[in-house]
Amino acid sequence: MIPLSEDPFYLIEKWLKAKEFLVIGKSIQRIDAFEKVTGKAKFMEDYVLPNMVYVKLVLSSEPHARIKAIDVGRALKIRGVVGVLTAKDIPGENQVGYALPDQPLLAEGKVRYAGEPIALVAAEEPEIAFEASLAIKIDYEPLPPLLDPLEAMKRTDVLVHDERGSNIAFTTRVRKGDVTEGFRVADVIVKNEYRTQHQEHAYLETEGALAIPEIGGRITIISCAQYPHLAQAITARVLGIPASRIRIVQPYIGGGFGGKDDMGPLVAAKAALAAYKIGRPALLIYSREESMKSHCKREASIIRYKSGATKEGKLTAIEVEIIMDTGAYANRGPFILWRATMHASGPYEVPNAKVDGYCVYTNKVYQGSFRGFGNPDVQFAAEAQMDELANKLGMDPVEFRLKNILRPGSLTITSQLLDHSVGIAEALEIVAQRASWKEKRALYSKMKGRFRRGIGVACAWHGISTSRGVPDWSNAFIKIEKDGSIHVFTGIVEIGQGSPTTSHVQIVSEVLGVPVNYINMYFGTSDAPDTGATHASRGTSIGAIGVLVAAAKLRERLNKLAAELLECRPEEVIVRNGKAFVKGREEKYIMWKDLIKEAYARGIEMSATGFFFLPKGTFDHEKGQGFAYPAYSYIVNIAEVEVDIETGIVRVLRMWPALASGRIINPLAVEGQIEGAIAQGMGLALMEKVEFDERGVVINANFTDYVVPTIMDMPKVEKPVYVEDLFKYGPFGAKGVGEMALIPTPAAIANAVTHAIGIRVTELPLTPEKVYFLIRKRKMKG
Amino acid sequence: MAIFYLLPRFNYYKPKSLNEALKLLNDLENSKVLAGGTDLVLDMKIGRYKPENVIDISHLNELKYIKDDGKSIRIGAGTTLQTILESNIVRKKIPVLAEALEIMGSWQLRNVATIGGNLCNASPAADTAPPLMVLEAQLKLESIEGARYVPITKFFHGPRITELKRNELLTEIIIPYPPSNAGMKFLKLGRRAAHTLSIVAVATLITIKDDKFDIVRIALNSVAPTPLRAYKTEESLKDKPINLNVIEENVKRVAEEIKPISDVRASAEYRKEMSIVLTRDAILESLKMLNVKIGGEEF
Ligand SMILES: Cc1cc2nc3c(=O)[nH]c(=O)nc-3n(C[C@H](O)[C@H](O)[C@H](O)COP(=O)(O)OP(=O)(O)OC[C@H]3O[C@@H](n4cnc5c(N)ncnc54)[C@H](O)[C@@H]3O)c2cc1C
Repeated sequence: MIPLSEDPFYLIEKWLKAKEFLVIGKSIQRIDAFEKVTGKAKFMEDYVLPNMVYVKLVLSSEPHARIKAIDVGRALKIRGVVGVLTAKDIPGENQVGYALPDQPLLAEGKVRYAGEPIALVAAEEPEIAFEASLAIKIDYEPLPPLLDPLEAMKRTDVLVHDERGSNIAFTTRVRKGDVTEGFRVADVIVKNEYRTQHQEHAYLETEGALAIPEIGGRITIISCAQYPHLAQAITARVLGIPASRIRIVQPYIGGGFGGKDDMGPLVAAKAALAAYKIGRPALLIYSREESMKSHCKREASIIRYKSGATKEGKLTAIEVEIIMDTGAYANRGPFILWRATMHASGPYEVPNAKVDGYCVYTNKVYQGSFRGFGNPDVQFAAEAQMDELANKLGMDPVEFRLKNILRPGSLTITSQLLDHSVGIAEALEIVAQRASWKEKRALYSKMKGRFRRGIGVACAWHGISTSRGVPDWSNAFIKIEKDGSIHVFTGIVEIGQGSPTTSHVQIVSEVLGVPVNYINMYFGTSDAPDTGATHASRGTSIGAIGVLVAAAKLRERLNKLAAELLECRPEEVIVRNGKAFVKGREEKYIMWKDLIKEAYARGIEMSATGFFFLPKGTFDHEKGQGFAYPAYSYIVNIAEVEVDIETGIVRVLRMWPALASGRIINPLAVEGQIEGAIAQGMGLALMEKVEFDERGVVINANFTDYVVPTIMDMPKVEKPVYVEDLFKYGPFGAKGVGEMALIPTPAAIANAVTHAIGIRVTELPLTPEKVYFLIRKRKMKG
Repeated sequence: MAIFYLLPRFNYYKPKSLNEALKLLNDLENSKVLAGGTDLVLDMKIGRYKPENVIDISHLNELKYIKDDGKSIRIGAGTTLQTILESNIVRKKIPVLAEALEIMGSWQLRNVATIGGNLCNASPAADTAPPLMVLEAQLKLESIEGARYVPITKFFHGPRITELKRNELLTEIIIPYPPSNAGMKFLKLGRRAAHTLSIVAVATLITIKDDKFDIVRIALNSVAPTPLRAYKTEESLKDKPINLNVIEENVKRVAEEIKPISDVRASAEYRKEMSIVLTRDAILESLKMLNVKIGGEEF
């Protein structure tokens, strides 16, 4: 048995109960701020080496074709070309699919989308690599491309993956109660089809990796991955060497949003392949166009949604069909679909539910992780339905939501009992008040003239951690050096959000009672214990449990020691500002440095790991019921818009966010996440869309033709409302916020636009053109 | 650091004077002039142009000025957009140009991009074109043989095709003082609030006589192979009484004068509709500048 003082459950609960804080909940400055503002911070490109080779991708020009031959002869003859690598040069497995084993690192036998990597060219100079990439001739035998997921679902004569026998890659389901009965007792029923589009991550820094061969057959990779240990595992698999020979180091990363969760390992493996075969450091950086053509995108979904409610405003049933275009590969599509399916009800209690999800292959760039992970689409649909039901019932949308909203004790659509940490009702009530919801809703309903205002609300929930019984854990390694300075190792990466550079520092500082400048973070590396990925809003929640537990273990040991030295009980020891003293008797103290010296002298271990394995339940796929997620984070966004009905231009004027995401460790950092997420969600709502030509080739693979919002498009984002509904396993009760504000943003904006123009919008993005023609079709009364 | 595009190899020339530049331009085959490079360098990277020789004129102070000669404003072709935007002469006398510049690209871009480059690049979406067209600017085209002047309305022949002969440089933009009491406006509709290419942009310049439209000038971009003047619409408004119904009725003609295409930014149909809306709005805004109360129904 582990002693209590080393038991993660005991330690997590102990710190969850803390009432007063030194640094938790404070907006401390991020430790990377100065470096970044002054341009000293190092990103992948800053690690270039003198004798490296430059690697360039060769991408497929065809959406669907058999590769008959790859002629590299002419390229190899170019002076300065060091090597050309194709699938047959891969020493290990050419298999990198995450959810399903369907994806090669480099195309083999067949290409499945225009933009698929086929070969790598390495040369002494980037210009030479570029030139050589054009000299590679690929002989294709074209196959008919499938571009429409609805068509692809039906067809078996053309298959994106021949060996799978169907273009449906994956299905999901939820079954709760009896929907027929649910609709029978409904007084109102609403049925609609919703569509969302592919969104580009548009990170400032494109994908890249620098792989460096080291002594002893080891390879160090400076990469841009969101999960160093996954980059390590995939590279090891591709090269056919033990994972322990591969070391991943993540410098600061110029944005990921999920894209680098999927791409990071694949790019690391490509650079490593070149370095391994050529024996020299190899640098691979994607151009913007290569990035936009070949990296995964936010899924495009078709959602058919039917819901019913009683006169009293109680939901009776939902029936939902979700079809996601996963493109050429499943990638994480099945997981994305799973999440969308389990969240299909929105954060509401509904007694009868039937949800079916289909993840469908097409010959387009594949679907992948993107902030929100399938949830923004489904909340867009669910929240439109809620407004339409309220409308039919003649009820205020907020009131209607409050009648159905999840509360402690509610059962989800998978019949999971929510026993704690459900603060959304309070968040909705407070934020509606702050936004003067009732008054504005009434006022804007009566508006006439050219510029119409609308106010819309959307709620969302987001399961934290991995789904079902899929293992999830946290870890970290902390050592206190002899001089008292503290070294923290975590696999969580710094991707702009500030988890390892801010909230982790705060957690360690709080638990150990030392000033933040005692702490040195060593983050984003496979040298740290596997901490899981920096995705799913988990950097400061699940990702930081390890840091908390490791620090708490050390604190237990130090309290015991200090109690001995100060002649008191361990629970009486306070450590603050690098000084340990007896509670209420500050004159009885020992300085932190001396305490650590003493620990070393007495043989007390001053290093600890913080492993924590999350308890989970099981989900029955056949029944479509069971345990989905350990807890949910919640958010409400209220959006106020103005629509110019003569041009269709939508301006988002104000946003009121309200979070029920457990403890807010650093409010300033959370505000940063909220504002960024709103910008990105607004892009999805109003303007962003990856466009394909009739062959499935991306035609706006550049920032002239693909637009993202600018600062001038941003609404005023009001100070967030926080309902701190603590999660029992979160560090200090934190649940995670990174994705949250994006999830209901398209829904809130769409509902506000609908309110403004009096026409239900069901398809994103709401470009001026789309809104204009919607209005014209309905010939608005002046 | 790492390059993504192959910038084709070329000979680079940095003439010390305008004369030397003209001489180089005359003597060198297959050459391109480089001003701010915000169009040219990108176009070279994507392989649109593969010049053997590049003649850099970006440092030539002879081409950087804004002068008021008492009857016109003269702008050197090498003047950056930001310099023009910040010029008091421009803001006061020809605010319609400043309005266009204000929403072109970003501050960083405007600090390198030149007005000559915007015109000579001859993009259908060039934003300085509509205001200069309603201002009836003259362009000074120079070669070693001498100078000639062409009205801006004759300058654009097609997308990226201009009146310039291969040995000619655009050196000056001459903008005659607008008629006194002219109201003018530039409006641009893009896919986002800033830093965007237009779906359609409109410039208008209006004067009134005896409560009727007198001079009416309308120019648009992004709705045809070149920026253009909507002469027929202008004509139909001239001498008409000023009220909303008249304006709304007549601006519809704009749709017949343009030849928009569908692209990733917008469909041809939407461009047509928006040309009408923006033209109307720009006329109303121009009238507002003249403190004209507009009769007709509220819109
Ligand atoms: C991010 C970004 C945003 C942009 N936003 C806008 C916008 O909002 N609106 C808009 O209209 N444009 C926009 N542009 C396009 C471009 O910046 C402008 O057209 C700019 O004014 C070009 O000027 P330049 O000095 O950079 O021209 P360059 O690129 O140097 O030259 C352009 C062309 O003109 C020729 N040329 C230049 N000067 C002369 C001369 N004196 N005589 C003869 N030929 C000459 C060159 O040979 C070349 O063919 C944008 C560009 C970028 C990259």
